[in-house]
Formats: sequence, structure tokens, C-alpha cells
Amino acid sequence: MISKNRGYTIAEDIKMTEGVKCSCEAAIIGLYACAGGSNVGQMANKVAVELTKHGKGKIMCTVGVGGQVPGIIKSTEGTDEIIAIDGCPLLCAKKSLELSGFTVDKSIVISELGMKKGGNLDLEESDVIEMMSKVETALGN
Amino acid sequence: MKIEILGSGCAKCKKTKEIVEQAVAELGIDAEVVKVEDMNAALDYGVMITPAVVVDGDVKVAGKVPTLDKVKEWLS
Repeated sequence: MISKNRGYTIAEDIKMTEGVKCSCEAAIIGLYACAGGSNVGQMANKVAVELTKHGKGKIMCTVGVGGQVPGIIKSTEGTDEIIAIDGCPLLCAKKSLELSGFTVDKSIVISELGMKKGGNLDLEESDVIEMMSKVETALGN
Repeated sequence: MKIEILGSGCAKCKKTKEIVEQAVAELGIDAEVVKVEDMNAALDYGVMITPAVVVDGDVKVAGKVPTLDKVKEWLS
């Protein structure tokens, strides 16, 4: 399903084969969302998904970085740019990356873009569209 | 020893395979070099960027073409 509002379009489903990106293409921008247990954490993940679907980066497995999973660590080493997308100022995604020795090139914090942190895990499509516009502005896309 | 080259068949993947085969030949070791184009297999290793090299189940590199010296180091 495609929805459009306020200049942003929610992308169609991504194909499974696109879960792996070839480095022969443009520079690999790794997107690491906290995907935490709050509305802003879930929004962080949704933002990473949407950016991936729009070709603005590649969603990666943030928890695998914290877990030191070899394939995920090696994939992170293979990125050209690292963007951490956190829900709140606890910055779990950014800190996980830094604790593993990676330099975060850009840090996005959803709560600092106007979304108040709460416990509701369901996202409204209109909120996603509004947040995507803010994130894309913050990233300079 | 089993060496898997994960990739879609792109230029960097082909170059990676050439380097791995050269390293195997120069070291004179008995190794099976397999090219894997099934991207779900890559995901099973946690590999999200290709090309990648996996030696006996251990991911050595992802998203980069390794140097000959580095591959020799892995195989020695």
C-alpha cells in the first residue's frame, strides 16, 4: 500500500533479496535504529525502514552490533557512513556502535524532532509521514 | 577447508573470488572455494553487505574486496 501526504510517500514493501546490499553500488550508508520498547523506539525503526525503501541507506541489525555477531560487525566495517537513529536521549544505538569501536557519522534522535516519548507501540501513519519529513531535513536529503 | 564467497555476481564479488583462488593456489592448500549467490544465505551469516568471505563458517570480511595478503593471513 502506498500513502502520500505532506510531500512524503510511504514506500511499498521491500523485496527480501534487497535485504543484502552490494557494495558495487553507491556508497553504503548503514542505518542503525534502536527499535526500543517505546513509541519513539518503534518510530526509529520505522524511519530506518522507510529510508531503506527509499534508497537513502541500508537498515542494519543494531542488536547484532551489541551482541558482537561477526557477520554484522564485518558488515558494519564495510559501510561508508554510519547513521544512528535513536528514539530518545538515552542513545542506545549510538552507544552500542561506539562501544564496538565504530564512529557514528550522524545521530538522529526522534524525541528531539518533536515526538514525545511514551509507551504506546502503535504508530500512526500520519505521524510516520511527519517524522520522515523531519528526518530527511535533518539528514539533508 | 571451505571458503564461501557471498555476492550477487558483481564486479567486486568476481574480484574477491579471484583473489581467494590466487591465495589458495599460492599457499598450496586444499580448500573448496564456493560462490554463493543466494542472498538469504548471506543473511543467515548476518552479512548485510557483499562481497563477503566466509572461511569454515567464520565471516572474515563484508562489503570490501580483501587484499591478497589478508586472505593468505586468514588461510594460514
